[in-house]
Amino acid sequence: MNSRAAKVTPMAAVSEARALAFLADLSETLAVSLDLRQTLSEAVNRIADFMDAEAASLFLLDEDGDMLECRVCVGPVDITGLRIPLGQGVVGRAVADNRSQVVADATTDERVDRSNDSDTGFVTRSLLCAPLATAKGPIGALEVINKRSGGSFSADDAEILRLVAAPTSLAINNARMANELVQQARMKREFDLARRMQKSLLPKRRRDGFPLLGVNLPAHEISGDFYDYFDLPDGRIGFFIGDVSGKGLDAALLMVRVASLLRWVGKEGTPPSEWLVRVNEELCESSLDGRFVCALVGQCDRNAEYVDIAAAGFPPAMLYRQGEFTEFLSGGAPLGILAGMSFEGQHIDMRGASLYCFSDGVTDVRDAQRRTIGSEGVRALISRHAGASAEPRLRGMFSELKHLRLVDDTTLLLIERMHAHGPEVLLKRRFPARAEEMREIRSLLRGALDDAGIERDSRDKLVLAVDEACCNIIRHAYGPKDSGDIHLRVTMDAGVLEFRLLDSAPAVDPQCVRAKPLGECRSGGLGIALIDTVMDEWIMRGSPDGCGNRLIMRKRIDVNSNNGEDRE
Amino acid sequence: MNGIEQETIDGCAVIRLQGEVDLSWSQQVRDAVLAALGKNARVGVELSDVSYIDSSGIAALVEGFQHARSKGTGFALVAVSDAVRAVLELARLDRVFPIVATVQDVPATTSVPATKP
Repeated sequence: MNSRAAKVTPMAAVSEARALAFLADLSETLAVSLDLRQTLSEAVNRIADFMDAEAASLFLLDEDGDMLECRVCVGPVDITGLRIPLGQGVVGRAVADNRSQVVADATTDERVDRSNDSDTGFVTRSLLCAPLATAKGPIGALEVINKRSGGSFSADDAEILRLVAAPTSLAINNARMANELVQQARMKREFDLARRMQKSLLPKRRRDGFPLLGVNLPAHEISGDFYDYFDLPDGRIGFFIGDVSGKGLDAALLMVRVASLLRWVGKEGTPPSEWLVRVNEELCESSLDGRFVCALVGQCDRNAEYVDIAAAGFPPAMLYRQGEFTEFLSGGAPLGILAGMSFEGQHIDMRGASLYCFSDGVTDVRDAQRRTIGSEGVRALISRHAGASAEPRLRGMFSELKHLRLVDDTTLLLIERMHAHGPEVLLKRRFPARAEEMREIRSLLRGALDDAGIERDSRDKLVLAVDEACCNIIRHAYGPKDSGDIHLRVTMDAGVLEFRLLDSAPAVDPQCVRAKPLGECRSGGLGIALIDTVMDEWIMRGSPDGCGNRLIMRKRIDVNSNNGEDRE
Repeated sequence: MNGIEQETIDGCAVIRLQGEVDLSWSQQVRDAVLAALGKNARVGVELSDVSYIDSSGIAALVEGFQHARSKGTGFALVAVSDAVRAVLELARLDRVFPIVATVQDVPATTSVPATKP
């Protein structure tokens, strides 16, 4: 408006100052708005008053972007809810062309749709309409109808309405974005809950020579993959692994249904081929909306000497025996597509071998060049880790997969004879209780934890906690007067790291060893507090004969989302 | 390797620590920090080259900070390495210590009482 200021009359200058004040005031109201509906209603009222209009209304484009709906209106006739197709009438045209429309005589102007007038008895004489737009395009329009003082709206009026449209659009846009953020936060909470629920459905690790080990690594919040195992009435073990097509909540919900169906049918000990037939018939009775399920089901004995499997559209199971691979192709199409299908079963001699059943997420992992690693890549991965016993082997394989690009949920079920061995020893060391020894101990510990596939951040915290425990033994148990050794043993068992420290110093009263609150600015008592923060639990015990102490610290490691204690 | 270097930059005494600050030499670190605080109006402990610090090292820094606060001497940790920051965060001391990016940012006095985060 400044460009015109030079040639306006004093009278116009007065009205321009008034317009500026009005605009500033309105913009401020819109900017601080918390309740958009109320603010817009107030804004439209004030616009009508300021422009001396009989009626004013605000239209917004619907989600499809082809209809405009009146959201706010003031005046003798309530047209809230009135819908106008994009491009039609004055409002439709203002939005479609993203240009203000000025109608001096509505009775003759062909742009005006007068049908509403004839319904209500209201006579539209003149009107002004300005589009509301954001950077992404038009979102609606502001309209004022009939000057109360008679006559038509001036070019200044049109300019003011155009200027008012800007802060109005901004306020609507802000409110929409704020609403989206709230929605996103709510969705995230829901997804977190769903993911936790899904995790809890997977079976817990079983020890003592149980011949099955499963790992599931979801690529997204929730997974379409599943696996389960359970005891059969004849003492054998039933198991299955599967993958629901698609991702997201609908796939996850279907996964829950299919997993419970597979478990229900499998629990009776139904042979694998028949097992899949029954589940397929049940799934085909209801529509899966084009979704389908790939699954492999099987049964094995406790020593995993013989395995019977049948698969429906599942990637080939890979048998590894002394450097040789044998692949067992799926014996049928995916479940939930066609009723009346059969699935060919296979009886596999597993003596001295390992059977790897994995979802296509494993073969779809991308390497540095974004190529899928494929069946060849998986064979190479298995060969590289073949030397390790089952648990560290899977941990090693998944730690390698994690460094590649996971594009899909990745699930693996390993079947092999497992010896009921004790915990895996990662590090065992006896060293003099002296501060100068600790640098090397920390270095050894880092190496051992790296080999176990522990993430760097966790590793550094664990090293700190063990160092603090050793320093406490050096400083407080042995003290300046005594000397002796520290025995350190680090083990991993069913996803739990255990650090055991033994000394031969005079027994320390465990009651005296307490964690003090962190964050306090003082120089003592920090070591125990750090141990307490880093570890899941720690137990200190003095030996009964008064000589020597034993400290055990434990930390659960989340390599697999499912490294739990025995459930059964 | 472990080491303590001292110099003065723009009127600020700088104690530069290197290596793994642990129980084997944290007493030396404590003595060096307290000695510098006794002689200078501004002291910065530079930690960019520290790859590990344990609670005894943290304790030496806490003592220095408390001493500076009681005397009103300027004191800050300068260019804290990721390894040190991780331990400070674990001990919830990252918001207790004054931490600055460069020696020039070391404050002239330490008068603000330490607050719990």
